[in-house]
Amino acid sequence: MKEIVVISGKGGTGKSSITAALAYVSDTETVLADCDVDASDLHLLLKPKQRNSKAFFSSEIAVIHQDKCTQCGLCEQVCRFDAINFEKGQYQIDSIACEGCGYCAHICPESAITMEIQQDGMLYISDTRLGKMLFHAELRPGAENSGKLVASVKNSAKHYAQQTQIEYILVDGSPGIGCPVISSLSGANLALFVTEPSQSGFHDLQRVIALATRFHLKMAAIINKSDLYPALSEAIGRFLQEKNIPLLASLPYTEDFSKAMVQEKTVAELNIEYFQTFENIWKQILTIMGDRK
Amino acid sequence: MKIAFTTKGTDWDAEIDPRFGRTEYLLLYDDETKTLQSIDNREINQKQHGAGPQTAQKITELDVQLLITGNGPGGNAAMVLEKAGVRILTGYANLSAKDAYQRFLSEK
Repeated sequence: MKEIVVISGKGGTGKSSITAALAYVSDTETVLADCDVDASDLHLLLKPKQRNSKAFFSSEIAVIHQDKCTQCGLCEQVCRFDAINFEKGQYQIDSIACEGCGYCAHICPESAITMEIQQDGMLYISDTRLGKMLFHAELRPGAENSGKLVASVKNSAKHYAQQTQIEYILVDGSPGIGCPVISSLSGANLALFVTEPSQSGFHDLQRVIALATRFHLKMAAIINKSDLYPALSEAIGRFLQEKNIPLLASLPYTEDFSKAMVQEKTVAELNIEYFQTFENIWKQILTIMGDRK
Repeated sequence: MKIAFTTKGTDWDAEIDPRFGRTEYLLLYDDETKTLQSIDNREINQKQHGAGPQTAQKITELDVQLLITGNGPGGNAAMVLEKAGVRILTGYANLSAKDAYQRFLSEK
């Protein structure tokens, strides 16, 4: 069982559309894990039917136990998020502003503040219309994606893939290079970069490549919307070549990506040309993984 | 020398966990006293962020000199380990701890 993680650095490059298309052409060889939990969109294209769900507890919030509080005000002074206010005769935590850092609980001389874990969202295991399983999650408003959440989604996908002897987990990673992305790369076999010819696209690609290099992963790249700024696409191509990262495809900008989305389909389902394009990309991925010549 | 392996189990047959921060166990081998010890690291799954640096801290507190793992630690965790003088060997995923140790010896 191997993990292929699709990441982009910059958001909006077409990462999820491409992941969905690869999921379609790879058929029974893959299960899907949507780790872009802040903006999980795969479910829009795949019409999941929930088979299993589980509440997800992760972040902590400070709770003041009023019976112990002597109202010394130290907590309000140290809180960097202005999340503690004196209201209606007592100190209170603003649950939206509290970041859960725990400084107040640490410093309270009366031990009147404890950190309590709160529900951040739900984890789902779903059947999809493609006949493959999707592992995904949904956050409550204000909750954030985390390494822990990504690890939970990936672990349940891994567990299922192992039991059913499915060879690959296709992971839709999140933008950026932070904790959730590190967690999605950890334990992976191949990082597939989806980039676009924009200054921020190129810049963030370089950052995400630096991160993936640290994890000694196999790498490959796709330039999406390549014809929007051909000169920059060429520069990205040269950069990839210097880094020895194979460029699997340069996909021109097309409204068909949006068209497919409106129809709640993956791009690979639109016509035979797209199917072949993505099938070709998938075959190249298997070759890079050393699984197919 | 104390060697730490990131593993999915608690003995020599345990597979190397490719993950560093969220590894399930740390297997410790002291090649002077020839003793093997396992540390349960699964509580790390309760941590939302910073799994890497926290596992790195654990390793430095255990006075480890060599780390044998899979993908390797991320930037922050690697900095902690480097500052503490822990040597890091990556690319040992899918091997058992025993085979990983043998490979380390043969490549020494």
